[in-house]
Amino acid sequence: MTDEKMRATAVPELDPVIHAQARLRVMVALAALGADEQVTFPRLRQLLDMTAGNLSIHLRKLEEAEYVEIVKTHQRRTPVTLVMLTASGRVAFDRYVTAVRSLLPEPT
Amino acid sequence: MKLNRFVDSDNEEPLTADASLAVIEAERDRVAKRVTFNPAVMSGIWAVAWFVGFGCAYLAYGSDRVIPAWLGPTVAATFLVAAVVVSMLYAARINSGISGPSRTSAAMYGWSWMLGFACLTAVNIVLANRDLSSATITLLWSASSLLLVGVLQLAGGAIWRDWTQFAIGVWMMICATGAVLAGVPGNFLVQALAGGGGFAVLALYFVAQRRRA
Repeated sequence: MTDEKMRATAVPELDPVIHAQARLRVMVALAALGADEQVTFPRLRQLLDMTAGNLSIHLRKLEEAEYVEIVKTHQRRTPVTLVMLTASGRVAFDRYVTAVRSLLPEPT
Repeated sequence: MKLNRFVDSDNEEPLTADASLAVIEAERDRVAKRVTFNPAVMSGIWAVAWFVGFGCAYLAYGSDRVIPAWLGPTVAATFLVAAVVVSMLYAARINSGISGPSRTSAAMYGWSWMLGFACLTAVNIVLANRDLSSATITLLWSASSLLLVGVLQLAGGAIWRDWTQFAIGVWMMICATGAVLAGVPGNFLVQALAGGGGFAVLALYFVAQRRRA
């Protein structure tokens, strides 16, 4: 399959919130954590090697889609931002991965 | 270009399906390695520390020693202290910025080892200053260390509902008795081979378990 053809067939079927490189990377990282786990904003930024501004933009979009929950809290008087995948975010991510795999030929 | 790579993907060309899958697979492995605690690493560290440390203690003991007498305790102390430091750094790096009930359980389990051995060290040092022979003091250290390792492995087995880890705990407790019966310097051999071996078996078991998952 040519790239052009693949793009034409692939893009419309995939969740547009996840189907962008940066947000996909954020989703993969959050999905690598346990279902009951959360990560601080700085650690997530370090894991993804993104700028703070850039990560914020993508997290906001994921939060709007209710794929991600962002909690601002305090730990020992220091403000902390915690990020976690929601249950619907995990379902959407699993569905996305399944959809991507279904678009590709079976590995030989 | 490298700087802009992840700046705003919405302005980028749409991902192809195979590029997307490549991102998923590469990132999943990379992130998992950095955030998932691998118990095989911890057991491996302690297998090496016990095997080398107590192995040297055995080789440096008595008149027919193979290596200089001072080398035994020096190597043992160095490897055990190094194992504590490496274990703490590894756990801190994996858990940094991540929280959740299972992380809390794991952290409390880690502290159980630290506090258990800190207390064991204090008790043994006080006892060693009583009228005990040097052989008795050596056996006290061997047996109490193996016993505590065994009990903590039982606790680990209970937390993660893992019968293999539980069985290794039982093995370590049997070795505690074995070390006392073996006497000095056989106790060092029990610790190096049976104790270090116990850790090694556990490490291999965790490796196999992750391969299957």
